[in-house]
Amino acid sequence: MSLSPDLPAIDVRGIRRVYNVKPHPVVALQGVDLEVAPGEFFGLLGPNGAGKTTLIKILTTLLLPSSGTARIFGFDVERQTKQIRRIMNMVAGGEQSGYGILTVREQLWMFSQFYGLPSKDGWRRVDELIEAVGLGEQREQRVATLSTGQRQKMNFARGLLNDPWIFFLDEPTLGLDVSAARAVRELILAWKAAVPGRTVLLTTHYMAEADELCDRIAIVDHGRILALGSPEELKRRVQRESVFRLELDRLDGGPAALRRLPGVVGATSASIQDDGRERQSVEVNLVLEDDTALGGVVGALAGIGSHILALRKSEPSLEDVFVELVGRGFDEESDEHEPPDPDRTPDPRDTAHEAGEREEEQALV
Amino acid sequence: MTARDLPVDGLASPAWGGFDPARTRGSGGDTLRSFAVAARLGWQMEANWTDPVLFFIYSVAKPVSSALILVVMLEVISGGSRPEFRAFVVVGSALWAFVVSGIAGLAWSILEDRERYRMLRYVYVSPSDFLVVLLGRGLARVAVGAMGAAITLAVGVVALGVPFEPGRIDWPLLGVVMVLGLTSIVAISVVMAAICLQTRQESWSYPEAAAGALFLVSGAVFPLAVLPQPLQFVGLLTPLTWWVEGVRQSLFPGGLTAVGGEGSFFTAVAGLPAPAPAQIVLFLLATGTVATLASIAVFRASDRRAKDRGLLDQTTGS
Amino acid sequence: MSAAFNYRPTASPQEAAAWTRRQILATDLRAVGGRAYPRVTGMFREKSWVFFEILLPFLATSAFVFVYRALQAPPEYVGFVVLGGAMTAFWLNVIWMMAQQLWWEKSQGNLELYFAAPMNIMAVLFGMAVGGFVMSSTRAVAVLAIATTLYGVSFAIDQWFLLIAVFFLTLAALYGLGMVLAGLFLMWGREAWHLTQLMIEPVYFVSGLNFPVGRLGIVGSLAISLLPLAVGLDAMRQLAFADAAYPLGTPSPEIEALILVGMTVFFLLAARLTLRLLERLARKEGRLSVRWQ
Repeated sequence: MSLSPDLPAIDVRGIRRVYNVKPHPVVALQGVDLEVAPGEFFGLLGPNGAGKTTLIKILTTLLLPSSGTARIFGFDVERQTKQIRRIMNMVAGGEQSGYGILTVREQLWMFSQFYGLPSKDGWRRVDELIEAVGLGEQREQRVATLSTGQRQKMNFARGLLNDPWIFFLDEPTLGLDVSAARAVRELILAWKAAVPGRTVLLTTHYMAEADELCDRIAIVDHGRILALGSPEELKRRVQRESVFRLELDRLDGGPAALRRLPGVVGATSASIQDDGRERQSVEVNLVLEDDTALGGVVGALAGIGSHILALRKSEPSLEDVFVELVGRGFDEESDEHEPPDPDRTPDPRDTAHEAGEREEEQALV
Repeated sequence: MTARDLPVDGLASPAWGGFDPARTRGSGGDTLRSFAVAARLGWQMEANWTDPVLFFIYSVAKPVSSALILVVMLEVISGGSRPEFRAFVVVGSALWAFVVSGIAGLAWSILEDRERYRMLRYVYVSPSDFLVVLLGRGLARVAVGAMGAAITLAVGVVALGVPFEPGRIDWPLLGVVMVLGLTSIVAISVVMAAICLQTRQESWSYPEAAAGALFLVSGAVFPLAVLPQPLQFVGLLTPLTWWVEGVRQSLFPGGLTAVGGEGSFFTAVAGLPAPAPAQIVLFLLATGTVATLASIAVFRASDRRAKDRGLLDQTTGS
Repeated sequence: MSAAFNYRPTASPQEAAAWTRRQILATDLRAVGGRAYPRVTGMFREKSWVFFEILLPFLATSAFVFVYRALQAPPEYVGFVVLGGAMTAFWLNVIWMMAQQLWWEKSQGNLELYFAAPMNIMAVLFGMAVGGFVMSSTRAVAVLAIATTLYGVSFAIDQWFLLIAVFFLTLAALYGLGMVLAGLFLMWGREAWHLTQLMIEPVYFVSGLNFPVGRLGIVGSLAISLLPLAVGLDAMRQLAFADAAYPLGTPSPEIEALILVGMTVFFLLAARLTLRLLERLARKEGRLSVRWQ
């Protein structure tokens, strides 16, 4: 398979989009520049109203930019819409599209006709995709009776009918429960693995999702790209050192004993745990120049007779990156006026634990 | 005020703003309030035109066209030789525009809220009685229909030569039949709403189809005597027949009757050339009461079935 | 699983995007069938339309038959009303099932998906028309058959081919007009609903649904030049009741057939232009997705 090496999958230059709404116009995108390479899994991460959906609608030829240019594999989104529509597809979260009176199979077949598949091919492809997305038992069920997760799987199958070269996913796990969201993410990864040359643009406000799926992420807020890079690169902007939390049975000399060790930037005591069962532990926050210094610390602790009860690595989250860039969290209100966000229901999964630490826990006895 | 400050038995503390969910038990005041809010909402939606000129054209053109169709049919055949018929068809047609709007009111509210706004389930689970809210919502369309009827009558008098003497109007009869007739129209609308709870989105045209069918047996634009006797009997059981007759007799006392006359079932049975005002009111009351009771029963049954089959929050487009 | 995901591999997106005319036409034709499918399927899955779309409209048509009987009109007028009643079905299909359908699809969230797909939106509209045609023609045939039998309507047809041609030309022009209206209604947003209402009785009146449109004088002439229903119905009446004393004042059926051809071409071209312009305008103003406009 050969792709033109010169043409990016997505090439956005100076895109600006203004909505003329009352009481005053809203600038949803303020001169966005972006380039996505063919085969890349690219994420747009930002809070509600950041401009992610506006950008994706421009790229999927549903909205014209107020100024600037955008191309999909070299095709202009304003003037070459037909070509783009032949090679792309899109799935949005919370989609309630389709006709409730049809079965899953019929609904998908109908869309296969819109993409020009011959009728028999369409039925066969629909049956394959229904199995691939795990809707085998629901194939003859009416669309109106599907659960949210099942519906989204069906939407995902619809998105794959024409085997798109570029797949736009606009908050695809919005409103799904944990297992349904996981199932959708697994489907996306399975598809990407099966056809590695295809490009995906994902918009989301779930940090963990972007972290898990994307090769590169653009953090977006108020119509601007604030940062661009791989998840690791972005996190390293916030925190270059490695941070660990140790739970020890004892620590003679306190955290100061560890500060003198090579590679240790800082050590502070966290808390003394007394669980009332004649067992006391000491928690220490340890900041190292990098992970390689950990070996020395473990050895030193063994040398002074301390036993490590637990060891956890703390990594910054993408929200930490966002806070560093913008000065507020995803859930906090901004002083600036938010651009209009079309038809989005608030998501119940924006809870604190998703924006927390990643834990790699090893219990050592 | 924190959660600790709440009284043990719930949220009834006046210090909390006085909201007491236990008070929303469906009292008369709450019902009236629900109705008023729904009516206001219905009016805001119905009258929410971006161009008032279009609203005016819509209010005038639609009912006047219906009347003109019949007037032209009359002129084509009689060549203007039967002026009494012109008043007959104009009044009937004007009233029928009111009927169509009224019948469609609740049904379209159901379809709009379920399919377009997706609000039906939220209205349904609120403490307000579902039927009361629908009645309020449908009131706006009844009002628009009434406006159209009045305009058509005015056009008929001013431009189509309908003879009209305000001094001869039987106001008491008019008042009574309008109240009873409106109740009957709303009852039919409730039945249509019950049907639309069960059917799919494409049933927008059902209320108009029902109104068209009733048009045949209600004596709106031709005397019932023209129909075969079984159909005349059906017509006499329909409250709309008595309502149209009552309005006609009150606006044009002594004019052409749709119910009685030579060859009519009514005249054959009652021996009278036309029903007297008291008879009109009596038959309207009787048929209207039956229609109202039946409509409530049908609606409740439909409501139960819709809940049972999960129809309240589905979308059914094709 | 990977077989399902790897459907028709092409060498590059440029190759995948380069469709031949044949592919484009085939896609549009398949889209017609695809969009007609839910309409037709819906008819068989929810059958209330048999009562509401056939029996009740028959009764409504009967009402006008009895108006003429009350007036002791010549028998051909009953035929005119019956034919008008049958054609109502197609006009209502255009108004309810085409003109405001794109506006409805936007409310349902389907409009974006239609525009994001490679087929021509006119194919979707035509599919809606084809799907609705099944119901409309059932209604029209039922009204014609029952009313003809019950009311003793007798047809006198000399030119069968011309009558059938006029019927299909009327449909073609009506559906072309429906496509133009669909585009306009999409832009007019919430007014679409009210405008649909406006286009029932007023159009019935100026199209002469229950009487020969020539009786309207100048208004009738205007209607014949602008409304496919008016000219088609007038031509069909002249052809179906060839022995009736048909009022003069309207063109002959042959000329009206030519008018219909012109209307069809005009409306289809206008639909193409309107939909293209309005798609651009909708994309510019962001109206393809906002539900509440």
